[in-house]
Amino acid sequence: MSAGPERHGTRLRPGPLSFIFDGRRYTGQAGDTAASALLASGVRLLGRSVKYRRARGLFSAGFEEPNALLTVGVRPSVIPNVPASQLVLSEGMVLRSQNRWPTLGFDLASLLQAGGGFFGAGFYYKTFIWPSWRTYEPLVRHLAGLGEAPRACQLPPVAIEHLHCDVLIAGAGPAGLAAARAAARAGARVVLCESEPACGGELEFEPGMIEGRSAAAWVAMTLAELATLGARVLVSTTVVTDDSGEFIAHAEPGGLPGRNTVYHIRPHAMVMAAGAIERPIVFCNNDRPGVMLLGAAERYLARYGAQVGQEAVLFANHDRVYAAAQRLLAGGLRVRAIVDTRAADAPGTDSEVQRLRESLVRSGVECLSAHAVIGAEGGRAVRAARIAPLAGAGARTGRRISCDTILVSGGWSPALNAGLHGSDARRFAPAVGAFVAGSQTDWRRYAGSANGHFDLAAVLQDGHGAGARAAAHAGARGSAGAHPQGSGDAPPRLAPFARSPATGPAEKRQFIDLQNDVTVADLRTALAEGFIDIEHVKRYTTLGIGTEQGRSSTVVGGAILAELKGETLAAVGTSRSRPPYHPVTMQSIAGFHVGAAVKVARRTPLHDWHATHGGMLEPMGLWMRPRYYLASGANPFDAAVAEARRVRAHGGIADGSTLGKLEIAGPDAAAFLDFLYLSKASTIRVGRSKYMVNLREDGCVLDDGLVLRLAHDRFIATTSSGHGTHMLAHFEYYRATDWAGHRVSVTDVTEAWAAIVVAGPHSRAALSQVLGAPWQGRLSQLAHMDFADGQFGGQDLRVLRASFSGELAVELHCRPAMAVPLWEALICAGLEPYGLEALDILRLEKGYLVSSELNGQTTPLDLGMESLVRQGNPCLGRELLDRPAFHEASRPRLVGLRAADGRAQFLAGAQLTTEAAPAQPCGYVTSSAYSPTLGEWLGLALVARDCVSERALLTARDPLRGSDTPVRVVSAVHFDPSSERMKT
Amino acid sequence: MTRIACPFCGPRELREFEFHKTLPTPGAQGAFARTYERVADPALSVEHWQHVAGCRAWLLVHRNPSTGVVFAVELAGEVMP
Ligand SMILES: [Zn+2]
Repeated sequence: MSAGPERHGTRLRPGPLSFIFDGRRYTGQAGDTAASALLASGVRLLGRSVKYRRARGLFSAGFEEPNALLTVGVRPSVIPNVPASQLVLSEGMVLRSQNRWPTLGFDLASLLQAGGGFFGAGFYYKTFIWPSWRTYEPLVRHLAGLGEAPRACQLPPVAIEHLHCDVLIAGAGPAGLAAARAAARAGARVVLCESEPACGGELEFEPGMIEGRSAAAWVAMTLAELATLGARVLVSTTVVTDDSGEFIAHAEPGGLPGRNTVYHIRPHAMVMAAGAIERPIVFCNNDRPGVMLLGAAERYLARYGAQVGQEAVLFANHDRVYAAAQRLLAGGLRVRAIVDTRAADAPGTDSEVQRLRESLVRSGVECLSAHAVIGAEGGRAVRAARIAPLAGAGARTGRRISCDTILVSGGWSPALNAGLHGSDARRFAPAVGAFVAGSQTDWRRYAGSANGHFDLAAVLQDGHGAGARAAAHAGARGSAGAHPQGSGDAPPRLAPFARSPATGPAEKRQFIDLQNDVTVADLRTALAEGFIDIEHVKRYTTLGIGTEQGRSSTVVGGAILAELKGETLAAVGTSRSRPPYHPVTMQSIAGFHVGAAVKVARRTPLHDWHATHGGMLEPMGLWMRPRYYLASGANPFDAAVAEARRVRAHGGIADGSTLGKLEIAGPDAAAFLDFLYLSKASTIRVGRSKYMVNLREDGCVLDDGLVLRLAHDRFIATTSSGHGTHMLAHFEYYRATDWAGHRVSVTDVTEAWAAIVVAGPHSRAALSQVLGAPWQGRLSQLAHMDFADGQFGGQDLRVLRASFSGELAVELHCRPAMAVPLWEALICAGLEPYGLEALDILRLEKGYLVSSELNGQTTPLDLGMESLVRQGNPCLGRELLDRPAFHEASRPRLVGLRAADGRAQFLAGAQLTTEAAPAQPCGYVTSSAYSPTLGEWLGLALVARDCVSERALLTARDPLRGSDTPVRVVSAVHFDPSSERMKT
Repeated sequence: MTRIACPFCGPRELREFEFHKTLPTPGAQGAFARTYERVADPALSVEHWQHVAGCRAWLLVHRNPSTGVVFAVELAGEVMP
């Protein structure tokens, strides 16, 4: 479909451009947005509203667009919720309207409003409660939501650029340009971000004179100067979040394919010059296609030569409407009437404005004072405006002026932009009728209309001042020069006016938040039901949620809420918006951290060996560890059972390199470890190791591991694999604080030592064979928990006799380079590898803590370590262990479990109940596994002490996996209780 | 702007640091008070942070928790209460 004759506008270039909208081909012009091209093609119906499916058209020319959200691209790789007003077209672009089914023209769900009336505030909370929400969820989900989420992501990767500068300026309108010029002249490194594809802001459609030039010439001159001063100007780029001073700016709305760049900007100071957002005035059926913001009509005309309609009624509460009307009239729009809510003799009425008004009247424009548009007529498009005086005869019914467009302007709300997301205080500015930043800080200033200035001279001065001060704060010492002088439209002189008078039923058609279909009636309902605070009203009515975050609706919503409550807008306030400032794709947030690069992976020196020998690697914290080996069995269960059985019958090797290893050294090392561990390290003899437990300061168990004494003043403390980094910070913390000034050091040597566990009855023979003659004698002399240091193949080797499997076992600590040769030699000597699953089975059979028992809530008393506590070492956390609550009968106790019939399976996570209280869990299964050695399922559980007795019968209830298994409490040590196997 | 000036590394951005805890009330006696009785002043919070992604020093940070403004940074061990 042709867009007609060539249009002229500041954003347009010659040349046609074709695109698809809802399956139909349209032609736009190079530089067009989807909105301007569709406007020029005469398309007015661009979407349906989310709740009532009412026909909706374009409302704005910016990010505040609540209605015309489009889905860009072809399934499955689509980007939803891109405002048509911000979407710069490219050749062949495929666009779809949203919230309609099956088609935009005929929407089944819109029959809901015809048949069943309107969903009011809290509709979902009140309606879908019987028999349960799940009954309705599929249908509601089908109908609800903004747009369609992509099913696949095939967007090109995001480029992330890190920028460092002195001053970051958000917005390149008159204030932003003045600020950038001042800062750059003072010598600051400047980054200037502008959301639109071109700089200038309002100067593009509201021309003034600046420094003796036309506004357009001044913008061009300023940009040229900024370029020579080395400032970086980023257009089509919006500052979307402020993450503690690191600003994230996003190029292109929605992260469109091929142009998707994300900037992480770290400035020393910031100027927010994002302008102001025009507010609507609310009247009955103010959501019909054809009702638009006044400024939008001017923007579409000036930038794209696109008319928003044929005949318009203008509705406003300020002086600026007259200059705008004159420009629109000159641009070819037939302005039927200007409806001004203010009285004709309103004080301060400017003589310039009077002259403008008289000239408009002479051009055939009806100028009405103290009148309001009380309603729009027409269904899918406006056919007429209903006008009524604000007082006196005819105020109820009004009269009809036929038109296809109603342009509305209720003033401008400063765009506090990303600053809104933070904790910046806001202050009500009566002259503006909205909120401005409550305070300016040295490093973040608001300037121009974002700071409540609407007079071009003041805007330029304010921007210049903010830029100069920001540069000075950032350390620039040059002179910013004089501020630019300029003059433009008269100040607005607005009289706050949020909504036209309406009777009860009409309030259901007075739309405050177009995106979320929130009406004046909804606010009344919310108030009647006790939702008083603006933030509560937001959540109950959905006012100001969604992609638009209430940019055009929160101030009006706050004002109407104030009216209904009989309070002032200043007292009621507005709800806060959330970051990001406009929708961005998840991919933009993720950057290159996708797929395997989501997080760093730590690899043991044996990683490649595992990977090439069927080791099924899985993440454990940051580490990758082999879960089982394919050679042992086809599935994790079979493989783990085979591996565990093999260790008990013969032997095996496992990669223990992920264990954390901290070297503690210095004359005070022993005393320091005594402070950190429940039992004393100072009593360990050199060459011995000891199983030790750390407490947190509140008395709960933090971690467990072995402590090896290498020398009188040197220890190695091992930590569990998942806790390594945390334990390092824990040790460093107490070394730096409570132990400051003591002679002790903490060094992480985890990656300096690979560790290989060699376990099983035949392990010693294999080890003797591998290590050779010099070690044979030493191995046989090594007592349980002894270690020996020496050399192997010219490299350091430590052999530690310790067992977590219950078998005769050693840990070999070697240099990483030796790990693979040593491992392969052990395999040649007849040992096979076993993985994490088998390791857990072996631990569980011996009643060693697996991992979920150390859940941060268990004390050593809960875990059966009374003897350690009784030894009385006054360590960290020891004092708080005496709190009475830790000794109550309801505290958990670690026990062993077996199925009552000796066969049934029960799984970790199952809740345990007694026969006396079958609905009241008294504990839960923390770990469970099938033991090939004992031929049945074993478990560990935490059970309330008063429910624990030897042989007590409990039920393991697992409703999610559908089993109730009778289980018996047994000793946690299921296998070889006297530990003969590992000590002989 | 939230940058923390590490005494060793100079001003570095927030993401390199990890918050540990707000310090207990000055003069707190006994493990319970030292563990649980922390100062909750909206204008000044004295906290322990670690420069985890830097030199790993433990720091004593004086900060306004309402605005995020950092007043002073010292090494943690130097001035323990
Ligand atoms: Zn540092």
